[in-house]
Amino acid sequence: MTVDAAVLPPARATLDRDGRLVSADQRLLDLNGRAGGMVGQRLAIPQLVTVVRLAKRLGIRVSRTVVVADGGGDLDLWVRAEPFEAASAPDGVALTVSGWNSRPSWQPAGTSEDAAGDFLRSAADWMWETDSTLSLTFLAASGSMPRTADAALLGQPLTRMFQLGEDDAGTFPILTGLAQRRPFEGQSATLRSTGQPVLLSASPRFDPAGLFVGFIGAARAIDAMERFTADGKAAPTPDLDAVATAFAARLDHTLRAPLDRIIANADRIHAQSDGPLKQDYTNYAADIASAGRHLIGLVDDLVDLQAIERPDFTVAREAIDLIDVARRAAGLLQIRATAARVRIDKPAFGETLPATGEFRRALQVLVNLIANAVRYSPVDGMVWIRAERAGRIAAIIVADQGKGIARIDQDRIFGKFERVDQTEAGGSGLGLYIARRLARTMGGDVTVDSAPGQGARFIFSLPLWG
Amino acid sequence: MPIDDREMEDKTRGGISTLLARAAAADVRADEALHVAIDDVFLPDAARLEDRIRHGVTHVLRDLANGIAAPLRRHAARLLTTRDEGALAELLLASNDDTGARLAAAGSLRDARLMREIVGRVRQEVVADALPTVAREDPDTSSLLPRLLYHADPVVGSSAAALLAAESRRRIGGPLGAPLMSDLPAELHHRLAWLSAAALREQFARAAGAALPALDRALAEAAVRSIATLDENQRLEAVALRLAEALEPTPGERAVLLVEALLDRRLALFIAIIAQGLGLDFADARDVVLDPDGARLWLLLRALDLDRATIARVGLSLGEADPRRDLDSFAEALDTIVAIDPLAARQALAPMLLHRDYRAALTALARGQERSASLRDWIA
Repeated sequence: MTVDAAVLPPARATLDRDGRLVSADQRLLDLNGRAGGMVGQRLAIPQLVTVVRLAKRLGIRVSRTVVVADGGGDLDLWVRAEPFEAASAPDGVALTVSGWNSRPSWQPAGTSEDAAGDFLRSAADWMWETDSTLSLTFLAASGSMPRTADAALLGQPLTRMFQLGEDDAGTFPILTGLAQRRPFEGQSATLRSTGQPVLLSASPRFDPAGLFVGFIGAARAIDAMERFTADGKAAPTPDLDAVATAFAARLDHTLRAPLDRIIANADRIHAQSDGPLKQDYTNYAADIASAGRHLIGLVDDLVDLQAIERPDFTVAREAIDLIDVARRAAGLLQIRATAARVRIDKPAFGETLPATGEFRRALQVLVNLIANAVRYSPVDGMVWIRAERAGRIAAIIVADQGKGIARIDQDRIFGKFERVDQTEAGGSGLGLYIARRLARTMGGDVTVDSAPGQGARFIFSLPLWG
Repeated sequence: MPIDDREMEDKTRGGISTLLARAAAADVRADEALHVAIDDVFLPDAARLEDRIRHGVTHVLRDLANGIAAPLRRHAARLLTTRDEGALAELLLASNDDTGARLAAAGSLRDARLMREIVGRVRQEVVADALPTVAREDPDTSSLLPRLLYHADPVVGSSAAALLAAESRRRIGGPLGAPLMSDLPAELHHRLAWLSAAALREQFARAAGAALPALDRALAEAAVRSIATLDENQRLEAVALRLAEALEPTPGERAVLLVEALLDRRLALFIAIIAQGLGLDFADARDVVLDPDGARLWLLLRALDLDRATIARVGLSLGEADPRRDLDSFAEALDTIVAIDPLAARQALAPMLLHRDYRAALTALARGQERSASLRDWIA
């Protein structure tokens, strides 16, 4: 539920006791007209009819959020129907419709309120909720925080718990949030009981008619250093690293568990483990699972990206057998290759190529290169993995029979969020960027050699061991 | 590789008997599985738990059991340390075993009263979560409980504060899988405490060896302590009932309170106000309020002499919150419901309004008579 549209004035209509439209504001009249209705007839929008009928039969006000089709899109409407009895006119129902948000054709189930709560919770030391007068109706401290006389604060104004501070522009984010019915964050405050500085953030909650009923919020304890930053006063250089690390940790933490659950459930539906299903549905489930895996991959990449971009990122310099690593990487991708009907030609057993690097990271680089090669290979194609040694350099070459990469694109593909083929859906666009960064940190490199129509050869090199 | 033939023979023989034992066990298992399958097939859809409720019940049950077992184990370990059984104490502390899961697997949690409490509680939470919040006419009016804090009667104020705290406690709950602090009715807490002690004994009996009597003593003392420290009065249900009793609303006030409680999603208070009005216990009132077939609830509301608009608002809120309810047929039946005379409604509910223990005694007596009758038939 977005808040902006609440600014649009509500449209009103009056209906007679039989549900026929007596009069309506233009916007509602238009909507009803496009659905084929007119004044003097029953409403043409079924969702509104349901609300009106319910209000009429129950004899009380009924509020509901409904989604109605309008033209090619969908509209979110906040509907309130109130029966009236008039002495002069015959009784009927007064209808008020606000909201008027157009929504994307598909929207995840569950409310944005839930999502806001989950997100706030992921980094909160306290969770709090208020009613519309900002009295605390719920309060919970995370395990790490002392439960400072929580119970006594419940029912009290939020300001009894927190002393609010203004930001450097002299405003209070919470007041702006309250006035505009918007989420706010970065409201600095101190916990009255202990003097602990905190940052408050919250999202508004609305009733089915779109009226504000309170905030659902979080408070995060901050140390004195952060406090400076938050206040914008004489801020010492903000610790961007810490922020980025916290962000990555939060991303990982917030997204991974729900994604795992999505994938596990979609796989279960796909496997029909709870009983037979129509083929269409099992296919949808397979799509859901693969989209979920893609997102997990993206989360992994972003977390990796964040790690390798830290100035203090290091890798181990140990002796590894690069051919062994390449063979393992190929083994990990065998199933995917078989499914795509691509053969991988691995280095023969018995060969070794001692190099300097970190086993785990080298494996990550090669899995990325081979996975790319498999992805871009034609059906019944072949991916070759060869080992080379030139002077003090050990290298693994991964070659495919794909459509190749034009010279001008060869630098671009190592950039962040770039793809070999921009029209292609899979991949985060981070794989090659991460691979090259890792290789360079280990004292080596990842380079490409290709021409359109000729396939591509990616070369992963590391310093020779010893 | 076997060194000589005799060892090989032993091994083969051992293997055969293991295989035979497994086959025999599989027979029993297959039979059990069949019976479970039969039960499952013939379960009426209306009686089936929705996935969300079942999931919640499984977790609350296990987490509550763990919430009782964990401090029990800690206390028993402390007692053992003071009694020179340090090694056993460490074993007890080091183990991170899921006592709740063990009890569940052993079937010890298949207890009607326990399940009634947990299912009711989980359903209450799910419905409360789904209740539509509705903004007040005057946005400057606080919600119900914060307002009651300043009630002229200090007992109402302190009970409202206690209810706010109890709801916060219940909702925090912690992540799934984390032990829950027990807030069960005393008798259920007693049962779970002893069951947990027994499960721990079984788990550590072998490791205890000669120290088994010491382990027994420590576990029993820890269980007694767990039982003694439970404050039943702090339970959400008890607190809600206390507030309803302190409010002691007139019929007119009751209608306003019921509607406000629902609009604030304070379902526990809503149930308590109904329970208070008719002298029901909380669990009975909860069963009626959460029953998707509203018939008993509409009778209760009429027995409380509530007007049409109030009943309509209650039906609407619960209907929006619980997809199993049929809002349409409720709207259809509303006039009939309102036409019921409060006295007639009370009479229809009479058996339910009797004291719970009295009803339980009557049921037990009836069952006993049935049993002795069938025994007589059998002897004859």
